[in-house]
Amino acid sequence: MAKENAVTKENEMTQEGFDPKILGFFCHWCCYAAADSAGVSRYQYPPNVRVIRVMCTGRIDARFVIEAFRCGADGVFTGG
Amino acid sequence: MIVTEAARQLLEDCGVDRERLALEWASAAEAPRFVELITGYVSRIREKGPLGSGPDEIPADVVGRRLKAAVKAAGARKPRTLLGKLAKKMAKEGDYSRDAISKGVKAKVFPAMRSVRIATEVGMILEEGPADLKKLCSDTGASAEELEKILAPMLKKGQISRKKDSFSLSS
Repeated sequence: MAKENAVTKENEMTQEGFDPKILGFFCHWCCYAAADSAGVSRYQYPPNVRVIRVMCTGRIDARFVIEAFRCGADGVFTGG
Repeated sequence: MIVTEAARQLLEDCGVDRERLALEWASAAEAPRFVELITGYVSRIREKGPLGSGPDEIPADVVGRRLKAAVKAAGARKPRTLLGKLAKKMAKEGDYSRDAISKGVKAKVFPAMRSVRIATEVGMILEEGPADLKKLCSDTGASAEELEKILAPMLKKGQISRKKDSFSLSS
């Protein structure tokens, strides 16, 4: 049953066609912990975000964001 | 927020939808809120499609060069100093509304970022071969007067040379 679910899920993803690549900058103390606790309490959320943990959102520079887009990210999510 | 606004304006200048960069807050105790934010954001990006496919966006192959120049512009000394000065001024005034930040960045920091971006891009284009003003205009998205202003100091310093209408890198 679980396998079947996984297969239908995969089909859904390919049918939708576009799977965005999103880069996430998460603050270690806030959003990163929130993401962690979301995982622990088994909330479901899309797996498109690749996370980079920073010690504070203030560490993020405009350069990081633009470099991310240059490397082919479709979106950048900053979580403080 | 000031840095994000600067990045957004620079992205817009490069032909990238500013909404692709999100800045949200969720505390460590707000897992459900976090899930909501991420889900909403991913579906919004899904609607927009891949980078360069939006109505106001420029194609992905051109955007690459422009973003490369923009990285340089974001790291250049002058815009960074201006960004610091703006942050100091805003802290003094205590007005952190979105509108005030957007206006401040647009007036104080953006022109410097844009001119570095264009100057860097001109260098990249000329590296591939000589080009005339028209080609430089259409490739960088700058107006002719703007470009003249940027090219003049480069000519003066001898970084580039001019032969009639065509510009090339000095060897």
